[in-house]
Amino acid sequence: MRIAFAGNPNSGKTTMYNALTGRSEKVGNWGGVTVGSKEFKLKKEYAGNKEVIAVDLPGAYSMSPFTPEEGITSEYVRTANPDAIVNIVDATNLSRSLFFTTQLLELGIPVVVALNKTDINEKEGTKIDTAKLSAKLNCPVFETVSTENKGLSEMIATAISLAGTLQEAPYLQADIDLHDKNAVDAEDRKRYDFVNKIVAAVEKRKVLSAESTAQDKVDTVLTNPIAGILAFAAVMWFVFWVSQAWLGPLVADWLVGWIEMFQEWVAGQLENSPAILSALLADGIVGGVGAVVGFLPLVMVMYFLIALLEDCGYMARVSAVMDPIFKRVGLSGKSVIPVVIGTGCGIPAIMACRTIRDERERRATTMLTTFIPCGAKIPVIALFAGAFFNGAGWVSTVSYFLGLALIFLGALMIKGITGYKYRKSFFIMELPKWKAPSLKFAFKSMMERAKAYIIKAATIILICNTVVQVMQTFDWHFQVVEEGAENTSILASIASPFAILLIPLGFGVWQLAAAAITGFIAKENVVGTLAVVYALTNFIDVEELEMTGGANTVAMTMGLTSVTALAYLFFNLYTPPCFAAIGAMNSEMKSRGWLWGAIGLQMATGYTIAFLVNQFGTLITEGHFAAGFVPGAIAVACFVIAIIMIGKRVRAHFDEQYELHKKTKAAVTTAA
Amino acid sequence: MEEKMALLDAEVGKTYTVKEINTDDDDMNAFLFRLGCYTGEPITLVSKKKKSCIAVIKDGRYNLDNILSEAIIVG
Repeated sequence: MRIAFAGNPNSGKTTMYNALTGRSEKVGNWGGVTVGSKEFKLKKEYAGNKEVIAVDLPGAYSMSPFTPEEGITSEYVRTANPDAIVNIVDATNLSRSLFFTTQLLELGIPVVVALNKTDINEKEGTKIDTAKLSAKLNCPVFETVSTENKGLSEMIATAISLAGTLQEAPYLQADIDLHDKNAVDAEDRKRYDFVNKIVAAVEKRKVLSAESTAQDKVDTVLTNPIAGILAFAAVMWFVFWVSQAWLGPLVADWLVGWIEMFQEWVAGQLENSPAILSALLADGIVGGVGAVVGFLPLVMVMYFLIALLEDCGYMARVSAVMDPIFKRVGLSGKSVIPVVIGTGCGIPAIMACRTIRDERERRATTMLTTFIPCGAKIPVIALFAGAFFNGAGWVSTVSYFLGLALIFLGALMIKGITGYKYRKSFFIMELPKWKAPSLKFAFKSMMERAKAYIIKAATIILICNTVVQVMQTFDWHFQVVEEGAENTSILASIASPFAILLIPLGFGVWQLAAAAITGFIAKENVVGTLAVVYALTNFIDVEELEMTGGANTVAMTMGLTSVTALAYLFFNLYTPPCFAAIGAMNSEMKSRGWLWGAIGLQMATGYTIAFLVNQFGTLITEGHFAAGFVPGAIAVACFVIAIIMIGKRVRAHFDEQYELHKKTKAAVTTAA
Repeated sequence: MEEKMALLDAEVGKTYTVKEINTDDDDMNAFLFRLGCYTGEPITLVSKKKKSCIAVIKDGRYNLDNILSEAIIVG
């Protein structure tokens, strides 16, 4: 048996779905979090002995889709024949929600209305007569609060018991010609009149919706172009500071101590085994994976804070305040949401682009959103900030703001390449009521992430580190590489050709090239590989290293200056994301040209930024350009020429299409 | 005679009636309709800035950009 969950955006469908199935799909206090349908079986306590599959659908305002996600919902309830529909109605906005409800009731599938968010109504003194509403709609109505699991078991039990019965509609659309726009409009108006009458009969409000509340005062400030943007910058700075400079490293310090103890213990156990095995296990596997796991607390704290932001309702305000700026560069205010989600992980960020209506804006956002460093890049940033800049907070701040700047520049460039197409870019975003963020939810989201991170470390990163360790231990004749002859290893000979390309960027050694390459599999690999190739583990507790070694061991071993270290960091941050994120980009863009354009742009950006930082940084610190200035400058010039050429071609193609259109038009006029 | 104006020129806090909606985009007009923003319905501004405003439509609050709020004519 399948039960579909349908309702307006941000009515709480996914929260209810999660409560009933025990899943933890992404939720947030803004419309459009769910972008595709998901299904899972109900928990035993709700389903009893039956096998009941719950289907979570993206929010929709009506059966006629406006955005692609709305289309998924109407298509599903129309064609997939679910056995029952749970219509989640936002009880604080009954007058809008019932429009869709009356449409669902016409399908003949039994509908149960879950009057959700009734806790807010109680607080505001809004009363809804559920018995009367149920009679008027001709279907059962239950008051629910999905965030507190209230009223769910009764509601779902009723939905299960009704499955397979025939729903009688309280309101039927007249038989009209659906192609006649005016007739459809008139019918929709009649439907709204019907809904308005029901609402007038069942709802009593203490606070009228149009009255200005304290929340409105907050919103007025947060959507103000100056105060709102300053507030956003402050909030994000706080998130980064807490996760990457204060609380995160504090916990990480402690964790790293344990990892080192474990590594020593493993080394002790292997004392009598061949040196090669101990190197592989203790240094390669435990060391490399340990180096990555050591940064876990930073990522966890970050996720916790981002979850709080997503849960309270702030995202819609950020989106609203950023819209005018994003529009100027050819994106939309909705592009902000992927960017903020992208600080956690690029894949959900790329998927979140689906809510952007305009195709060009959507593709451009998909292409650019990964310039914001994701959670997997936090270890890389933290490593370089710690080893080369004494843990300075500005490294992380600059990384994020440069990422944001690159998004703006990239968007302007895409706008230039695709040619200025006149299309009104509308922006409308519902501002949901503020809500105290749930600590429990944020904790859950953080633990989910921690689990995923550890699994990744124990699988992909473990395998990569092992492979790297083996490749650098042996040469092509499978002989163990002797000390002093490291350049003959398999790894060195594969990575060296790439390293040559990196000379103009200041880090043309095979070890760093290898780390950057493994980074495409998963960005944490950059840290893991560096740990393996330089036999270092403790990247966080740099102070201790300084005390023991008398100098910064990590920095010394890698042989980078602070300028080249920064160039290397930026190179890893702004080149294409991991393969998984590229895969997500491919499925969202649905265009080879855009995908390769995206990869090319990201590659060129990472290279150019690293080149500029290295060359001009060296010029400032040492008074001359660094090695490889001329070949590097030629490479950058090639990027620029390539971009101009592509732009010309795309625009010519665009003009051609337009031309063709004009010709046909002329032909039609002459014929007439 | 009743005065007609764009939503962005309306007074904050006063409830108006939607007189006309023309965004030059049928899908957008239909979308606004489904939110409850159509001729004859009440609409109230909560706050406004140079390039956007917050309006109450039915029981929800929405942030509208200048293009949309100039396309909604109230009176």
